[in-house]
Amino acid sequence: MTTKEEKERIELLQGTLDLLILRTLLLGPAHGHAIAKAIEFNSDDVLQVEQGSLYPALHRLIKRRWISSAEGTSENNRRAKFYRLTVKGRRQLTLETGKWDKLAGAIARILRPAKQGGKS
Amino acid sequence: MSRRKRMLEELDQDIRDHIERETQDNIERGMPPEEARYAAIRKFGNVTLVKEETREVWISVWLEQLWQDIRYGLRMLRKSPGFAAVAILTLALGIGANTAIFSVVNAVLLQPLPYPNAKRLAMIWSTWGNETRGPASGPELIELRSRSHAFEEIAGIWVTSGTITGTAEPEQVRLAMTTANFLPLLAEKQQLGRFFAPGEDRRGAAPLLILTDGLWRRQFGANPAIVGQTTRLNGNDFTVVGVLPREFKLLFPDSRMAEVQVFIPFLNDLEKQSRDTGYIRMVGRLRRGFTVAQAQSEAETIASQLRREAKEYAEQSLHLSVLPLQEDDVRPVQPALVSLFAAVVLVLLVTCANVANLLLSRSGGRRHETALRAAMGAERRRIVRQFLTENILLGCLGGTAALGIGWAALKWILSLQPEGIYLLVAAKLDGWVLAFTLMLSILTGIMFGLAPALSVARGDLVEILKESGKATTTGKPWLRQSLIVSEVSLSCILLVGTGLMIRTFTSLLRVDPGFHAENALTFQLSFPWSRYGTVESVTNFLKDLRMNLAAMPGAESVGGVSHLPLDEGLGNWYSYYWAEGAPIQLQNTVMADHRSTLPGYFRSIGATLLTGREFEDADDAVHTHVAIVDDTVAEQIWPGQDAIGKKLSVEDSPAGAFQFIREPVVVVGVVKHIQAHSLTSKGRGQIYLPVSLAPRPAYSLVVRTTAPMQTFAAYVQLAVKKLDKEMPVSNLRPQMDYIEKARAQTRFVTVLAGALAALALFLACIGIYGVTSYSVAQRKREIAIRIAVGANLGDVGRMILRQSGLPVIVGVVTGLATALALTPLLSGLLYGVRQSDPLTYAAISLVLGAVGVLACYIPARSATKVDPMIVLRSE
Repeated sequence: MTTKEEKERIELLQGTLDLLILRTLLLGPAHGHAIAKAIEFNSDDVLQVEQGSLYPALHRLIKRRWISSAEGTSENNRRAKFYRLTVKGRRQLTLETGKWDKLAGAIARILRPAKQGGKS
Repeated sequence: MSRRKRMLEELDQDIRDHIERETQDNIERGMPPEEARYAAIRKFGNVTLVKEETREVWISVWLEQLWQDIRYGLRMLRKSPGFAAVAILTLALGIGANTAIFSVVNAVLLQPLPYPNAKRLAMIWSTWGNETRGPASGPELIELRSRSHAFEEIAGIWVTSGTITGTAEPEQVRLAMTTANFLPLLAEKQQLGRFFAPGEDRRGAAPLLILTDGLWRRQFGANPAIVGQTTRLNGNDFTVVGVLPREFKLLFPDSRMAEVQVFIPFLNDLEKQSRDTGYIRMVGRLRRGFTVAQAQSEAETIASQLRREAKEYAEQSLHLSVLPLQEDDVRPVQPALVSLFAAVVLVLLVTCANVANLLLSRSGGRRHETALRAAMGAERRRIVRQFLTENILLGCLGGTAALGIGWAALKWILSLQPEGIYLLVAAKLDGWVLAFTLMLSILTGIMFGLAPALSVARGDLVEILKESGKATTTGKPWLRQSLIVSEVSLSCILLVGTGLMIRTFTSLLRVDPGFHAENALTFQLSFPWSRYGTVESVTNFLKDLRMNLAAMPGAESVGGVSHLPLDEGLGNWYSYYWAEGAPIQLQNTVMADHRSTLPGYFRSIGATLLTGREFEDADDAVHTHVAIVDDTVAEQIWPGQDAIGKKLSVEDSPAGAFQFIREPVVVVGVVKHIQAHSLTSKGRGQIYLPVSLAPRPAYSLVVRTTAPMQTFAAYVQLAVKKLDKEMPVSNLRPQMDYIEKARAQTRFVTVLAGALAALALFLACIGIYGVTSYSVAQRKREIAIRIAVGANLGDVGRMILRQSGLPVIVGVVTGLATALALTPLLSGLLYGVRQSDPLTYAAISLVLGAVGVLACYIPARSATKVDPMIVLRSE
């Protein structure tokens, strides 16, 4: 069982979950459980999604027409609801990713000013 | 709703699936199934909370989108301020007119009367031969009260006039005698003191009095210590026991009721009075659980019992009818208000058609934008929703402006002060009216917005995008044309209705009511029992007054009567009459008003004496028993014969007021019928008796004069004061006032209908003009080519005129046809004009046709000014 120490886990920032879901769905349609797993796995389990909180986020994205949902069959031939990125969602992802990079960069610069002698 | 339920079920399913999978994963990792399930649920978190949050997301996103749409809509409106201004102004006019008329309808017809348990109050009318709304006699009220189960209270009132003395100025007041339970039916509690107690309305009870707020303030300086003091009414001392609340008003179907200032109990045993003297208005409160219909059938049963038990009831063929108080109250004004409300709804429809047209013109430009959005993945439903939001927003902006217009319009309506709509003063922009306006704003938003929204959301994406932003015609010219047709026909209906009202009003101006009110001054005097106890004292006073007034400069003739025509201020008296010697049966008798009349009356009001003579001072009870009848009565009793010298059996009281006996009188004159109650209906015939045969407690005097009214009014005051210092003069006014009052309701309806029709016509013109100029703009290129290849300018103009004028003509024709079908609904309001009055219809079609064609002509002319080179180069 891969578990990390409690203090190394990070609570998700407001709104970032939406971004992560969009990013996850860029790889292809997935059902809710798979999305949660993917986020945990891709972040080396640093990001801990309380799996339930995925659902309000999914519905928000649906309402905004960034993703759509459809009934489908999963790998083991069970019925499941699949979520899929829309054209609009794809555009939104690009937009949000750009914003995120800028934000993350800015925060990083503030927290860790460029070391002396480092590359300028 | 079901959509929401489905979404909830899907969410449930989704969550169950999720937990199932997690459990499966855990089992694969080697957990025992039970533990695996718990771990999965723990990891998922609080299921209920998740569901709740998801639902909140639905709502918050919905609101977010709404806000987005609103902001987008506002931005679009700002981008085309001209469109926005015209649309909002149009809506404000249409909705504002509705706001104003609705606040009147609401106050008068919809809001319950301001009485406790108003819904359970009912009038009980006594049917008397062919008079269905007659007053009841004392014994009738007592019998009904003791036998009825449907009514928990039955009260009675009789209105007369009285004189208050002992205060600064003697004042003639409207006085009501009531049963002890009358006021508690209509008021929760007194402002000061108490109501009359049971038993205080009997013979021998102490004389008590209740004041209205108005009189208390005016005559008694709002003295809070008034309760318990005595005041002199008709020369007797009455103890004041209470003051009614400020807002108290007697809203009964009789304008003189509204003016009552003083209440005293019947100081009489009603059951001992004569059964055939009806004078009491009965009002009752239904017992809880009883309907008006039940009360009606019970009243009928009681009436049939009474007819069997007493010959007086059988003779008058007594029936009783029960009507809800409110329904009875609004009876005279309901048709007018309902018609006005219908008219204003038509105005709203014209408004909607107009704004829809504006939107259609604009949607041409927006089709491209919409198609682009659809191509980028916006759902059709979402686009329609956005358009609807925009339109409802527009409706609400219009509605907000409408409140201002409605407020101003209502102020104007109230300033018209129509007589007889007593509840009108209560009209105001209250919560109901605000709610109505809001509802209307949203509704109009949907009405004028749905067609354009759908037409935009439909349509082939590729086609539209290929057109690449060119301003193109939006598919369906027929939609716009049919909007024009409906606008024109709606306006046409309104104009026809208004035209008929105007014709009615002019008929009213020309009507001959049987007298000439011009140059006649009238005033009222009342004779208190205590100081004018004998008939002689009254006749002597009147004789002296007449002589004194006749001697004044400018006096042509002086007369008087107990009840002036068109004056509903004093109670009307009427009874059965028959030719002397004829068998006493209802079918042989004539129901007629009877009037106590002074010599000189007919000359003074300008009536026409057909044969015989007027009364003279020598006509007194001792010497002659004489009467004058009008031609209606003469024709009914002695058809084809000379009435002069014939004998008539009448009810008179030569021994003093209200002491009725039946006696034969000789007809000495026949006068042309006078319309006593309305300008529009002939009404009952009239029988006139000399004062000494039929004394009354109050008289109206009429002076025909060449002097200015103001001047002579001063003479009147002096002359009365000289004879009796304590005699107040009331209702001193030109007789024309009564005529004006009788025309007031028709004038009110005509003025309002005219305003509404003008508004509709104006809106329709804007609509026609807008559509025509739009189509000219759309077809600029085509017109330019036509001109370039040598088309005659006149031909081009005529072509546009033909195409835009056609819907106007079709609209006028359908409008006239619809109006013809609808006007029977107005029959109650019309007088002296046929519903299908050809003159009105012809005039309206001419006006509307001309105005409509003019509205097309202006843009059509501008089409001929097109310079083909400029237009074609710009393409």
